[in-house]
Amino acid sequence: MKFSDVDVAVIGSGPAGMAAAIKAKEEGAEHVLILERQEQLGGLLHQCVHNGFGLLYFGQDLTGPEYACRFVEKVRDLGIEVLLETMVTQISVDRKLTAVNSREGPIHLQPKSIVLAMGCRERSRGQLSIPGTRPAGIFTAGTAQRLVNVEGFIPGKKVVILGSGDIGMIMARRLSLEGVEVKAVVEILPYVGGLIRNEVQCLHDFDIPLLLEHTVTQIHGEQRVEAVTLAKVDKNKRPVDGTEQNIECDTLLLSVGLIPENELSRMAGVDLDPLAGGPVVDERRETNIPGIFAGGNVVHVHDLVDDVSWEAEIAGAWAARLPQKGDLEKKGKTILRPGRNIRSIVPQTISDQSDVTFYIRVKEMEEKVRLRIGDIYHRAFRVVKPSEMIKVDLLKKELKRLKERTTELDVECEKGE
Amino acid sequence: MVEEKIICIGCPLGCETNLKIDDQGEVIKITGYKCKEGRQYVLEEYRSPVRVLTATVLTQSSARPLFPVRSNRPLLKTQLKEAAKALAGVKVKPPIRVGQTILSNLMNTGVDVIATDDLTY
Ligand SMILES: Cc1cc2nc3c(=O)[nH]c(=O)nc-3n(C[C@H](O)[C@H](O)[C@H](O)COP(=O)(O)OP(=O)(O)OC[C@H]3O[C@@H](n4cnc5c(N)ncnc54)[C@H](O)[C@@H]3O)c2cc1C
Ligand code: SF4
Repeated sequence: MKFSDVDVAVIGSGPAGMAAAIKAKEEGAEHVLILERQEQLGGLLHQCVHNGFGLLYFGQDLTGPEYACRFVEKVRDLGIEVLLETMVTQISVDRKLTAVNSREGPIHLQPKSIVLAMGCRERSRGQLSIPGTRPAGIFTAGTAQRLVNVEGFIPGKKVVILGSGDIGMIMARRLSLEGVEVKAVVEILPYVGGLIRNEVQCLHDFDIPLLLEHTVTQIHGEQRVEAVTLAKVDKNKRPVDGTEQNIECDTLLLSVGLIPENELSRMAGVDLDPLAGGPVVDERRETNIPGIFAGGNVVHVHDLVDDVSWEAEIAGAWAARLPQKGDLEKKGKTILRPGRNIRSIVPQTISDQSDVTFYIRVKEMEEKVRLRIGDIYHRAFRVVKPSEMIKVDLLKKELKRLKERTTELDVECEKGE
Repeated sequence: MVEEKIICIGCPLGCETNLKIDDQGEVIKITGYKCKEGRQYVLEEYRSPVRVLTATVLTQSSARPLFPVRSNRPLLKTQLKEAAKALAGVKVKPPIRVGQTILSNLMNTGVDVIATDDLTY
């Protein structure tokens, strides 16, 4: 393939990148190219050797690598071009893309459309500011996961995990099975950060203590972590005097959240949504820069890989239509406004009258609420939780009720069923 | 009579249920669930709590030191730790295709351990 001929360039080959590329090809785009900085396709899925993937997408309980294999096979069968160990370093407002690898050196492309699928990265200690020394033995949970599952290296013998996100809980189980003593999972909020399934199967199954409304206030040790101090926190998340306890450990894992990776998006002039963390997109998952689309964890952090794939397929499908049909006309623009107990909504705008898939995250856990999108949709929920994203599919005909002059729609959780 | 607590994982509500169990181990009463599916889940979780085992094994590959595997069927959760230990000595040789059996009849359970990835070299 000549690099000058690329119709759809996809950046990243995680579940989002592969799903977008496959869909673009199936929708008729001729030259689809995936650019991936790692040496294999699959993104984060390789290190997620546990099961729990694909329950919705395939109706089967798969591990991360198994889920990846199904897409890798399709990428091959469809003749999608792949450049591995290739880092995309720049995208410009007019869709010029620069990448580098050790074989070709710098590569310059002018694809007709681009799909951003760079995923996310973990929040690190710097963003947490825990006082104390800076000894060895502090890892993010995802780094520990890569060490244990891919590189074959156990990070320590006695571990404390800060944060009860899914990655942290999954690592608690993984390390327990490897014979490591997991002393505690410590969560500052009054409830678990990840899925209930993981709380039961990763913590309860292995008798790992979960300390809610607690945090790490100090890290001890010169060369290596020797202990951490924990304390209970009050309503304002401030440590309560007199509740401190020292726990001896040689390793501290941080599972304190993920942030979409958007350096490239910024360079391209893509508007970012501070609430969702990624590009502002419409229902096609197109950004404010025409021809630049986005899907998966780069847009907002999903809980389930199934949603990552579905969302990226939307981006891939529309990215394929652009080279074939030229500029796609859009009818007006409606902005979604997060209201009561809504943290984020994707897409943030709808500009066409086609089907829309919304992903909505709430701020706080709340029982018996009604989720409302303007006057076009409402649904009662027994419970909503920040750890479980809500998916809403609206069909074109349901959106017909949206008057043409509507420019803003409020999304909110109302109290009461 | 004894009591046991089981959290239902059927939906985000995560109901905490209470089981009253007689001396024969039969469930007499369940409280705390909020729907029929939840009750069913809790009963099964009490009678035979099973989990799929996922792990890694060593390889003779030049490309990667570890290779991911799983049990093809769930094991009793009380067997997980022992099963993980049984895999510690296993070393696989490429080529391997996803789904291929790596170890049959793990600890005489009738459950096989299968590959969850491809390993070409
Ligand atoms: C530890 C962990 C456990 C999880 N457990 C589950 C689970 O049990 N069930 C479930 O359904 N989901 C789970 N998930 C979620 C799921 O794995 C992620 O949502 C999914 O991997 C995100 O897909 P993605 O394609 O958006 O991003 P990623 O998988 O992160 O892929 C992004 C890719 O982009 C590449 N890239 C980034 N920047 C560039 C660049 N400049 N140039 C070239 N390439 C680039 C990266 O190398 C990477 O390969 C888990 C996630 C993690 C981290
Ligand atoms: S009992 Fe029903 S409502 Fe309660 S957690 Fe289980 S499935 Fe959900």
